[in-house]
Amino acid sequence: MKDPLKDKLTSAFDGIQIQPADRNQISITANKESILSVLSLLKSNGYNHLALISCVDWIEEKRFELVYILSAYMEKDKHFTDMEKTNIILKTSIYREKPQFISAIPIFENAEPYEREIHELYGIHFEGHPRLTPLFLEREYKTPPFRKDFDTRKYVSDVFDPIPFVGKKADKR
Amino acid sequence: MDRNQLIKWLKAPAKMGHKYSLHAVYFCTGCGIIEVPPSITARWDAERFGVLPVATPRQANLFLITGYVSVKTLRAIIRTYEQMPEPKYSVGFGSCPINGGMYWDSYNTIKHLDKYIPIDGWIAGCMPRPEAIFVAVTHLWTLIDKDMADGYKRYRDHYQAYRANQEHALGKLEWPPLFSNETKS
Repeated sequence: MKDPLKDKLTSAFDGIQIQPADRNQISITANKESILSVLSLLKSNGYNHLALISCVDWIEEKRFELVYILSAYMEKDKHFTDMEKTNIILKTSIYREKPQFISAIPIFENAEPYEREIHELYGIHFEGHPRLTPLFLEREYKTPPFRKDFDTRKYVSDVFDPIPFVGKKADKR
Repeated sequence: MDRNQLIKWLKAPAKMGHKYSLHAVYFCTGCGIIEVPPSITARWDAERFGVLPVATPRQANLFLITGYVSVKTLRAIIRTYEQMPEPKYSVGFGSCPINGGMYWDSYNTIKHLDKYIPIDGWIAGCMPRPEAIFVAVTHLWTLIDKDMADGYKRYRDHYQAYRANQEHALGKLEWPPLFSNETKS
């Protein structure tokens, strides 16, 4: 990362931690209150592509970790710079009880399907999201299925195993 | 034409016709579909066995289900199967339709596909080679010869039970029942 940007971030936000995570990856951990302003600051400083929003369930620490991965588009007629090779991994933690967070759609419009997916699979409510309707799942789940306390084997034995076989095969078993 | 089969042709011409013109509906689900393009094109050439892919279920009589079936795909599979004209033969390809395979404890896959639609044969393996499709096709020929590929008849006979299972997995189905209420069983 360019050093001026690092200075900007550390001077503007309290409790922000910046460390290199891997080759060409920089991990930033920020407070949940400042996440939208960090995103817009990064966007105005060249990291203009939101590649992914992901979520991690830390059940023992009773928090969800939201992960925003940002990268920079290569500019026309220029060589590949260090910035374009770098990915920024922006992390923040929210409470696991009644999880709520602010939508990132005002800054990155393509956050919509990712937030919809996280809402469906983890049950996090994003304020300001226009349609938090089901995206992938067909059935209703009491616990969202990607949470750690969702017991898949119990779910399978409760839902799919009682369905009987049909016809001759049912007589044989 | 093979002279040894002449008697079979004279006895049951329709059956022989069904045997040698299996039209597989080009329905892709799961990872098994990756084996189908090489087997229908020049490398393995499924047309040697009379197997051709067709675009719509109305023209097809062979249904290859190639890989894991999610709950959402099951809806499409049932609709496709019900639209195919009889006689129709369905073959489960790979271990996932048989009992879930490596997704046996997943929250969103169908474990035993034969609870929802009748299956005439299984090709086990993860993945089966394209040759396995031809083993299955030749085996299906013998099943058709012996009148044992009767999945579509079983579907007719036990339609209420199949429909109940489908509604159990998918909730309310938005299309009307294919067959009317009286069952022979």
